[in-house]
Amino acid sequence: MAENKPSMNTVEMRDAFGQALVDLGNMYPEMLVLDADLHTSSKAGVFKKSFPTRFIQVGIAEQNLFGIAAGLALEGFIPFPSTFASFATRRALDQITISICFPKLNVKIPGSYVGVATSRAGASHNCIEDIAVMRTLPNMRVADPGDNADLHAVMEAAMQVEGPVYFRITRLTLPKLFENDHTFQWGKGVLLRPGRDISLFGTGMMTSLCLEAADLLAQEGIQAEVVHLASIKPIDCDLIAESVSRTGCALAAENATIIGGFGSAVAEALGDTVPVPLYRIGVRDHFADSGGVGDLLRHHQMMPDDIARAARITINRKSK
Amino acid sequence: MNISPEKVAELEEYAYQIRRLSVEMITFAKWGHIGGSFSMADILAVLYFHALKLDPANPRKKDRDRFILSKAHGSPALYATLALKGFFPLERIYTYCELGGLEGHTDMTRTPGLESSGGPLGMGLSVAVGMALGLRHKENARSRVICMLGDGELNEGNVWEAAMSAGHYHLDNLIAIVDYNKVMAKGFVWDLMSVEPLAQKWQAFGWDVIEVDGHDIQAIAGAFHRARFIQPRGKPVVLIAHTVKGRGVEMAEFNYKWHTHAPEPEVADQMLRELARNYQRPEAGYSKLGIENTKETFYGGE
Repeated sequence: MAENKPSMNTVEMRDAFGQALVDLGNMYPEMLVLDADLHTSSKAGVFKKSFPTRFIQVGIAEQNLFGIAAGLALEGFIPFPSTFASFATRRALDQITISICFPKLNVKIPGSYVGVATSRAGASHNCIEDIAVMRTLPNMRVADPGDNADLHAVMEAAMQVEGPVYFRITRLTLPKLFENDHTFQWGKGVLLRPGRDISLFGTGMMTSLCLEAADLLAQEGIQAEVVHLASIKPIDCDLIAESVSRTGCALAAENATIIGGFGSAVAEALGDTVPVPLYRIGVRDHFADSGGVGDLLRHHQMMPDDIARAARITINRKSK
Repeated sequence: MNISPEKVAELEEYAYQIRRLSVEMITFAKWGHIGGSFSMADILAVLYFHALKLDPANPRKKDRDRFILSKAHGSPALYATLALKGFFPLERIYTYCELGGLEGHTDMTRTPGLESSGGPLGMGLSVAVGMALGLRHKENARSRVICMLGDGELNEGNVWEAAMSAGHYHLDNLIAIVDYNKVMAKGFVWDLMSVEPLAQKWQAFGWDVIEVDGHDIQAIAGAFHRARFIQPRGKPVVLIAHTVKGRGVEMAEFNYKWHTHAPEPEVADQMLRELARNYQRPEAGYSKLGIENTKETFYGGE
């Protein structure tokens, strides 16, 4: 176990999402929130309390949810069509692709209940392919924030760019990574812990687990560098290259499928810059079944000790 | 409210030109949808040259009407209409389906006058609902959102999600038009997947329904006038326009083989001459006869 337990966020990430919606709503009168009958789960309903006339309920109809969002964006509004990530990125992929991304409309898409660490609802609801799918769409930006302050910063940054954005929200209470004045930049990662033996690239909640893994590795004299990459698209190629130039090998951890997801994005960046051995942590060609979060993370070998073990294997693969 | 015989004649001429230009661009591009372009040509003529409030010099004018082509494969007819209306030069129709030219389906980012992008069927009415909600939120009571749907497109579930929400929100600034040309890509609608009883479906979803002959200029104008000014009492309105797929040239009428099919230049020439005769115009054939499109082919074919 880690020696120094990090301090925790005081609320679940989804509550931070609801609060951030209200904060942004105060700043941007053209912002609207749309919901498909999940606003008490996603916490988008917090916005409804503050801005009842700027909250649009579309019922259980995700294809329509994203089409309506496109229409509202065409009229100059900044819609947040809110639903679970699985229903957004599976059911309404065509609408997101052609109605929103193709004309580069200013729609901000929150994907709730992402990855294995979400609820006991099982494979149908625990969305693991959204990173892979969303990052293939031209014009789309993709982010997986690591804690509540990061989520707030991602949402602020989403408002500052014209065009579609997809960002992920878990329902967990995560360890604190950043202070409240933290800012987020598209295409910029954050070096959280310097090291010389391996670069642990984390996105979303997995960055905290990478930090815990780094603590475990430190106990045996391995100095792992930890880099947080909330911006998955665009991804910070420069920082990735710079980091592995020091460490010589890499590990990428995501709360999602490793096929086509964040680990693949890191692999692409490495292939384009400084090719080194890479280990990908995440779900391996499997559905994210029902289960407790700890059991699921253990089952999919995504826990800090799994990351530490993978790091040792990867360090051994470095060319001597 | 009838329009004058002179206006009807003017709109007939536009409908004729929309059909002609559709054949011209589809033939030159060697790709496109003649049947669905012809079936809505008369409706587009009435909308763009009589009914809609639009200003080609100011395409984003706030109180304009918004037209969304959900059956986006009918893009040739819409491109022809926009060119005739002055949104872009007529000569540009010959860039249809060329790299950097007019997109095969609709791309609003590089075509003046387009209000949305599309292609996959079933999606446009949701976008129209969003626009209608947005106009209401902005307290713009003058503009209308008009969405043109195909009949086979009504097989798509997304259409009915959108229809349900338009009824729920009482969007009386939204007018849908069904180009009910009775033919889908591979056969008749009633053979492949019937949409009947169509009027009752829309009514059940909270819409007012007007059925109209989609090739009768006077009737279309009257129906649209009712949809805009008389009928919208807290409900969206749908015009079910009874049309003929491929209307204008006998070989294409009610013939699914002309859903997606580009004629050979010689066939296009015959088509356009027949069209001219049907419209009692001076006979004129395909303007690019003998002029080969320089489009690059790959391994000798497309």
